[in-house]
Amino acid sequence: MSSTETFWDLSSDPRPRPQNGPQSPLIELRGLKKRFGAQQVLRDVHLNVNKGETMVIIGTSGGGKSVILKHCIGLLQPDGGEVIVDGKVISSPTHIDVKTIRKRMGMLFQGAALFDSMNVGENIKFALREHNRQLSESQLNEIVAEKLSMINLSPDIRFKMPSELSGGMKKRLGLARVIALNPEIILYDEPTTGLDPVTSDVINDLILEMQHKLGVTSIVVTHDMVSAYKVANRMSMLYEGRIIFVGTPDELRATNNPYVQQFIRGQRKLLGDVD
Amino acid sequence: MKPPYPPSDYAAGADSLPFGLRVGKEFVESVGRLVSAIGGFLLLQSLRLITRTGEVTSLLLRILGRLPWVIRNPGLFIQQVVRVGVSSLPLIAVISVFIGAVTAIQANYQFRGLIPDTYLGTAVCKFVIIESGPVITALVLAGRVGSAIAAEIGTMKEKEELDAMVVLDLDPLRYLAMPRILAGLVTFPLLVIVSDFLAVVGGFLVATQILNITSATYAYGLRFLFDTYDVWVGFLKAFVFGGIVATMGYYHGLKAGSGAKGVGQASMKSVVASSVLILIADFLIVYVVY
Repeated sequence: MSSTETFWDLSSDPRPRPQNGPQSPLIELRGLKKRFGAQQVLRDVHLNVNKGETMVIIGTSGGGKSVILKHCIGLLQPDGGEVIVDGKVISSPTHIDVKTIRKRMGMLFQGAALFDSMNVGENIKFALREHNRQLSESQLNEIVAEKLSMINLSPDIRFKMPSELSGGMKKRLGLARVIALNPEIILYDEPTTGLDPVTSDVINDLILEMQHKLGVTSIVVTHDMVSAYKVANRMSMLYEGRIIFVGTPDELRATNNPYVQQFIRGQRKLLGDVD
Repeated sequence: MKPPYPPSDYAAGADSLPFGLRVGKEFVESVGRLVSAIGGFLLLQSLRLITRTGEVTSLLLRILGRLPWVIRNPGLFIQQVVRVGVSSLPLIAVISVFIGAVTAIQANYQFRGLIPDTYLGTAVCKFVIIESGPVITALVLAGRVGSAIAAEIGTMKEKEELDAMVVLDLDPLRYLAMPRILAGLVTFPLLVIVSDFLAVVGGFLVATQILNITSATYAYGLRFLFDTYDVWVGFLKAFVFGGIVATMGYYHGLKAGSGAKGVGQASMKSVVASSVLILIADFLIVYVVY
């Protein structure tokens, strides 16, 4: 199969459900559909994410990119279709596997979603302490210091409150909280939105570091093309509830898909349109 | 007689009925439309009420199922007890003293020339312990505590903190809801004890300093007809009201819309729902136990 896939190729994909194995995608979305009230956000989303790769999903604001991420981690249940993670369907109404799978995943939210009532150290320690009751307070503090240094933050900030941090520091702290639980999969929701270009690049480097040092599989949702080109192994584009393109960054640049070109060039009109 | 409508209406043959019948027909049709609209509205509201009742009941049962977890995280519960109870003490103290004072003056006014001053303390004691202590304390705390819970949970929802908890495998019902509901159940009765005591003190101050009733007379009135059963009823009410306020706060926080408006409306709905439910529950408890 060509590395450039389109949703209509995948909709007739006769492949059986993937089992654990080197060739199987770690995350597979099959015919995902989701409606909020009168708005059909996802119409028929097909996407495979392989183990160890960083998949970037681009698309317009409000197009449903974050909705895809929330389906991947079981925060939302689809109206139709399946979410399969490591061979297990996590979108079934019984939710049998979702908690088990979720323990292997982490998510960096758009606004970092730090717990405002806790200081930096507690934000990282809270989940860690609850899931590892045998860890002593000194061990927890060591982990906090280690994770903060991994994201280039000084351990001295652990007593600060989230409200005292800048946007970039909050994003990094959100990432520290995620990696404290050693996830195999990290989902990034608009990791560079609202940050200046330099701070955005720091976040991009951290995403790459997570992939290279920790070997995590990542899905990055963004409309920041600089960030997308830098971190992506493969890129996909969501348009009107469907994935209309999947390929490498070079293939994305070269594609003649007018919607993709319109998006990556930041044009109001489609290529070829005239007033 | 000159027809009330322009001749063109008749010429068009819109309605060949005589004027009286035509007016009557239109009136009946209007009433029919009004009844239909009211019926539809009432049906819709009834369905919404049933749905919300089901949601709240389900939420409460799930929260109560998490109560044993308080042993693992007592700190979260204590934190909420301080927020709900200790922080509310000054407000409750001021309100209670004045409730007692007003009750004493009102009782004195009603009793004047009919009932001896001996029974002033009795009236204050009965009214405060059975009714005003738990009910007014709960209504005040619905505004102070319930709205705060709704705003806090609504803001956490808006900032995706609740989603972050789920993703980190931290159950929001266990870590957020249960400590708040339990704190409401425990602290409301304790606050009512304080409220009852200070209201009696307020009544005492007014009786002895303004109404020229001796402290011995007031104290005799307090003891006269005093029944510990009334105190237990007051505690029962406070316990139920504490659950209502905390649950409504959490429920409406979860249901909050987006933005400052959504959070503000969630707070408002929490206070309104709590206040109505407190008064309904008050009636039901009084009806059942007396």
